[in-house]
Amino acid sequence: MALRGPSGAGGGTVARRPGLARIARLLASQEGMLLLAILLLGAVVGAINPRFLAERNLQSILLGNAYVAVAAIGMSMVIICGHIDISVGSLIGVLATLSGTLAVAGLPIPLCWLLPILLGVLITTAMGAMIAFLRIPAIVLTLGMLSILKGGLISVTGGAWISDLPRGYQIAQTAPLGVKMPVLCMLLLTAAAAAWMRYSATGRSFYAVGGNAEAAELSGISRRRTTVLVFAVHGLFVGIAAVLYATQLSVIQSSVPANLELTIITAAVVGGVSILGGAGTVLGATLAAVLIAAIGSALIFVDLSPYWFRAVQGVLILLTVLADLSRRRRRGTLP
Amino acid sequence: MIRTMTLALGLAFCAGQAMAADRWDGADELPVHPLACDGAAGAAVAKPYDGGKAVNPPDKAGKPITLIDVPKLIGIGYFNATSKGIQLAAHELGNVTATTDGPTEAKIDEQIRFIDNAVTKGIDGVLFAANDPVAIAPVLKKALSKGIHVVGYDANSTPDAREWFVNQAEFNGIAKSMVDNMAREVGEDKAFAIVTSTFTTPNQARWISEMWAYAQQCHPKLHWLETVEAQEDNNLSFNQATALINKHGEKLAGLFGMTSVATPASAEAVTQAKLCGKVAVVGLATPNGMRPYVNSGCVKSVVLWNPVDLGYAAVYVMRAVVDGKLKPGATEVSAGKLGMLRVVNGSEILLGSPFVFTKANIGEFDF
Repeated sequence: MALRGPSGAGGGTVARRPGLARIARLLASQEGMLLLAILLLGAVVGAINPRFLAERNLQSILLGNAYVAVAAIGMSMVIICGHIDISVGSLIGVLATLSGTLAVAGLPIPLCWLLPILLGVLITTAMGAMIAFLRIPAIVLTLGMLSILKGGLISVTGGAWISDLPRGYQIAQTAPLGVKMPVLCMLLLTAAAAAWMRYSATGRSFYAVGGNAEAAELSGISRRRTTVLVFAVHGLFVGIAAVLYATQLSVIQSSVPANLELTIITAAVVGGVSILGGAGTVLGATLAAVLIAAIGSALIFVDLSPYWFRAVQGVLILLTVLADLSRRRRRGTLP
Repeated sequence: MIRTMTLALGLAFCAGQAMAADRWDGADELPVHPLACDGAAGAAVAKPYDGGKAVNPPDKAGKPITLIDVPKLIGIGYFNATSKGIQLAAHELGNVTATTDGPTEAKIDEQIRFIDNAVTKGIDGVLFAANDPVAIAPVLKKALSKGIHVVGYDANSTPDAREWFVNQAEFNGIAKSMVDNMAREVGEDKAFAIVTSTFTTPNQARWISEMWAYAQQCHPKLHWLETVEAQEDNNLSFNQATALINKHGEKLAGLFGMTSVATPASAEAVTQAKLCGKVAVVGLATPNGMRPYVNSGCVKSVVLWNPVDLGYAAVYVMRAVVDGKLKPGATEVSAGKLGMLRVVNGSEILLGSPFVFTKANIGEFDF
């Protein structure tokens, strides 16, 4: 079970499957369900208010949560590997503020994008190392980091906003190939990460360590090395998400976005990443981020109080966990 | 799972519909006091003086006085501006020396220490903007008991702990300015939506109520579409404003931003949708957050008060108290270039109509 495939390709003993059954299986997977949910939501809300499906609104939906989706890729890997990072929202706030501050200070613009990403990798690598070698549980360490980063940011900036950003800094507002940069990043990074997680030895080792760390050790995969590595890769995605976040608007609100870590973790979990580790895909996380953005937009289009947003998000998490449990039970992999 | 979700959405839909109230969404149910359409002061209910009194202060009428100004914190643009106004008034009057000194973080215990030190050292008057209305009261009462005059501005204490408080803006005044500016920019018979923090945030709910009441009375054809919540989150505000633009299309002529986060984010949404000039944004915000949009011409009116005027008025009020020109029961006070300011709520001086930041003046402010 350690090396069970993504999207729950458990067992894999049946060599040939009729096409229909295959489609049914695909739909029963978390990714299939999310895709179905997105289509269904589009159909229902589109029937009530056709403007919901206008190209412009679909673009807005993809754009709105693209940086969350990018961060959720890294978060999925961390959770698959059996850890968690609840400092991610604070880290994005800090890196975004750093990026904006550097830009206003007049540094060459490409450096203002690259340095925060580099720092993101350094910080998460250090966190990974502490978790691996000092044996601090990830939830405790990242909770500490959350407070340090959040408190530090408020102390240093005093909550002052960053405006007067130089021309050309807003990379998230550009649209190479006619697709807005955040959406492009979301699509390309999801595809790359999905392939890497599925086919590379390192990607497989994340599943192995998260699924059964001892078994992984026995088969020669270092648990510590994998932990440091997964956090380093996570930092890369956090850094990119932070730069997209910082460059999306003309002003940077130099504080930590409220509940951002929750939204990112929700995307990963609703995307089918097992909170117990060892299972899930980055594709699911991205689909979930899109679904969450679509729900937020849909509430406005059908005149629903936004109070429902959090409730619906909560219902999604519960349904996902229930679906995950039932799939595991069917497969007999539930402990 | 899908079926359950559809059910949940369906239920939510019914509940949402049932919540429709008389007032705009986001408004509270408290009584409203809309100003007259021409801006004349509403018939205020007279309330007796409820401020405190300095005990046997030395008679310094017309003589030089020394003041200390203790804002919530120092080193931020907003209180730099009030301090600038204080120096401006002191310079104009010629017989006032004022020093601004306060904590570098908005901490009430440090603020109390600054006031306490000044009282011990001996001073003629204290100006303050309280970090906590109740916790600051004892040290202010101590100052009053030693014959030191006390005037607050920006953030009040309990009334009996100071003599007068310069109130920067009343809810109905802000509401009038917001609605008037929107009507002027989009026209009388157009539709608008509101982006607020949450429906239950007290100040925002009060403003929306007063805007509703004032619009009913003075701009009855303006059409309210809906109010959306956006917490105090920049990106969520942007997404919500964008969704409003996408949903209402041509119908939407204006957006009200109710917080200093929602307003710039709404302006950003309009900018990125390339609808500047077609969708107006009017809102409460600080100049720094709005500078790019005001300078680009996308936003024409940012409503707030002028902190320089606020500090300026506080010094004039203090001088009038020392000179015996502002006594309990007075209905107005002269404040230099600001003219006569009204007494409201027993012991408060109203700064006047809100200040509207425009392309012409936004460059003078840094907060």
